[in-house]
Amino acid sequence: MKIISLLLTAVLLATTANVSSQSAREISDKASDQIDFKAMEMTLTLKIYDAKGRERIRKITTASKKFGEINKTIMKITAPADVKGTAVLIYDQKNKADDMWIYMPALRKTRRILSSEKGKSFMSSEFTNADMSKPNMDDFEYKILSSETYNDHLCWQIETGCKNEDIEDENGYSKKIVWIEKGTYLCFKIEFYDFEGELFKIQYMEQYKKQSNAKYFAFYMKMENIENGRESIMTIDKFQIGSNLNESIFAPAMLDK
Amino acid sequence: MIKRCLLLIMLCLLAAAASRAQGLFESAQEEPDKSTNRGIEFNGFARGSAFGGSESYDYSSVFGEFCLQGKFSHANAYLYSDLRFRGGINFDEEYVEFQLREVYAGYNSDKFDLFLGNQIITWGRADGFNPTNNITPNDYFFLTSDMDDQKLSNFMLRMKYRFSSVIDIELIGIPVYSSSVYRFDLFDLGEGVSFGEAVLPEKSFGNGSVATRLNFEFSKIGFSVSWFSGYDPFYGFNVDSVDFATGEPVITNTATPYQKNTIGADFTLPVNSWILRGEAAYNITTGYEQNMHVPNPDIAYVFGLEHDFWGVTTILQYVGKYTLDFTKLQMPVLSDSFDPLAQMQYAVEMIKYESTLFNRKMFYQQEETNHAIVLLLSKAIAYDTWNIELGGYYNITSEELMIRPKLTWRISDAIAASIGGSYMSGPDKSIFDYSAPVLSGTFIELKASF
Repeated sequence: MKIISLLLTAVLLATTANVSSQSAREISDKASDQIDFKAMEMTLTLKIYDAKGRERIRKITTASKKFGEINKTIMKITAPADVKGTAVLIYDQKNKADDMWIYMPALRKTRRILSSEKGKSFMSSEFTNADMSKPNMDDFEYKILSSETYNDHLCWQIETGCKNEDIEDENGYSKKIVWIEKGTYLCFKIEFYDFEGELFKIQYMEQYKKQSNAKYFAFYMKMENIENGRESIMTIDKFQIGSNLNESIFAPAMLDK
Repeated sequence: MIKRCLLLIMLCLLAAAASRAQGLFESAQEEPDKSTNRGIEFNGFARGSAFGGSESYDYSSVFGEFCLQGKFSHANAYLYSDLRFRGGINFDEEYVEFQLREVYAGYNSDKFDLFLGNQIITWGRADGFNPTNNITPNDYFFLTSDMDDQKLSNFMLRMKYRFSSVIDIELIGIPVYSSSVYRFDLFDLGEGVSFGEAVLPEKSFGNGSVATRLNFEFSKIGFSVSWFSGYDPFYGFNVDSVDFATGEPVITNTATPYQKNTIGADFTLPVNSWILRGEAAYNITTGYEQNMHVPNPDIAYVFGLEHDFWGVTTILQYVGKYTLDFTKLQMPVLSDSFDPLAQMQYAVEMIKYESTLFNRKMFYQQEETNHAIVLLLSKAIAYDTWNIELGGYYNITSEELMIRPKLTWRISDAIAASIGGSYMSGPDKSIFDYSAPVLSGTFIELKASF
């Protein structure tokens, strides 16, 4: 669910309920609780720009599906050419470190690898592995800062702070401020603050598209690193809710196929 | 047998069902030919590579290479090819060559694969030292920035069946023996030592190799058991002839492969932020008492730990070997220095002693137990734009050392440059002592992929 959840952290659900009396936690929970894509497949393009504007492009195809209590995700890199065919398999289980395997065509074998720390860069981009996962809501404290109009969206500004240093280390930031649109619960902007409390990254979500199951998906995301001038843009090229893939596809022995 | 196998493949191909309905994930990995809906892919690279600066050779391996990799799939039919066009200098000899590095075709499905052709197989969960991998020959004298370039393909029939998502079995049949490449002729083994043509096994069914591996990959542990029977690609040497015509003996050695059976096992066990890996093989040989080119039976084992220390991926491995039925070699003694017959006898025994010792060194059987340590460090910096690697090997028993640093700069998505070196050293008359003047050196490589 890694990549997928990145796009889902932003999400969702249009609702017309009276929201004025909701707490910050309730608002955040409501958005998070709606993230319930049990299976999906997609292809995406990740463009990475350094401070001088030089571009690197990664193309990835991925599928994710839940089997029992385990979310299984398989990712295959389709570009650039020198890493094409590299495949990663992740078993995401509650209250347990992820199980991860990687297949690298040059080595011709599948290797069990250490599950990456969540705060580490995702595929050399400004996104982190934590951005790719649905966060554990209990790890944070929530506070409504204010209401603000952002790009014509009337939003709550909600501060989400890590409860302790371990959680900070795991996620790679101390707190974030999230812009959630009133009424739709769509998230359009997130500011990330480092361990000293300084703003260092800003994430933007756009191009929400309503899916067949009445949920939304952000097809464009941008992460700006204020500290080093780097920027990463993730766009969804193709998206499919549900997956016909059976469990045997989500297996280490299939990574070389 | 081959005919039967070919027939089986043809039947499989003909019987392949019409195109399966593919989901986005499967279809996105192929670039379909719109007119036929067949998945066709072409990739490859061009590179310039220079390895040199050794004591014996300024230009050990300098070449330009073009690689074209093609993949085709339609329904359950599958073919793969990796073609190399290369030209340059290899140990002072100019060459231009075309290499079919891998070319195979067959049946491919979620449950069952069957491929026939030239394939490279890598078995074993340890890093770099895989006692269970007795299938793939290596060209140890093809010097580049990447040691995986040394792997050579075998012509083989390979079947893989997946019982479930966590259990699979692989069966391999190799009808024709392929040996690894050593260039001991490049070593300074002393005057009067030369190497004749290899004595390769006759191309017959009986000289083929078979192997199988049952693999388990659970969330908590991955492990496998395997068996190999056939000629080892890593052969020994025999003394073919000794010529005393000039007064000084002129010895001609010949590469001579030997047969063995290997029972192997390996495992990977993640424990918190550590990964434990292990691999062991019991090698069974016969005729080693009479033939110096055949190693004694032995048990080879590797145990490793992997952990991330401050962003540095660290792999520490112990590589060991226990030689069964081991007897110390006794150095010959000249019984009567004034007796020409005794002198002749002594010379012959001494040649046998030195040659047997040389084989034992190659097989790491110079002592009953052999101990070595391997350290592999890797660190990516600047968002994977730079990658620093350091590999170190020290054989505690033979006191041989190898260090291999490497720096890779990914200039853009399509271009990468590598620079590094290889340093070997060892006591007098050790394998690394012979190798160092040839295989030590520095390398630089520039590679563009498409």
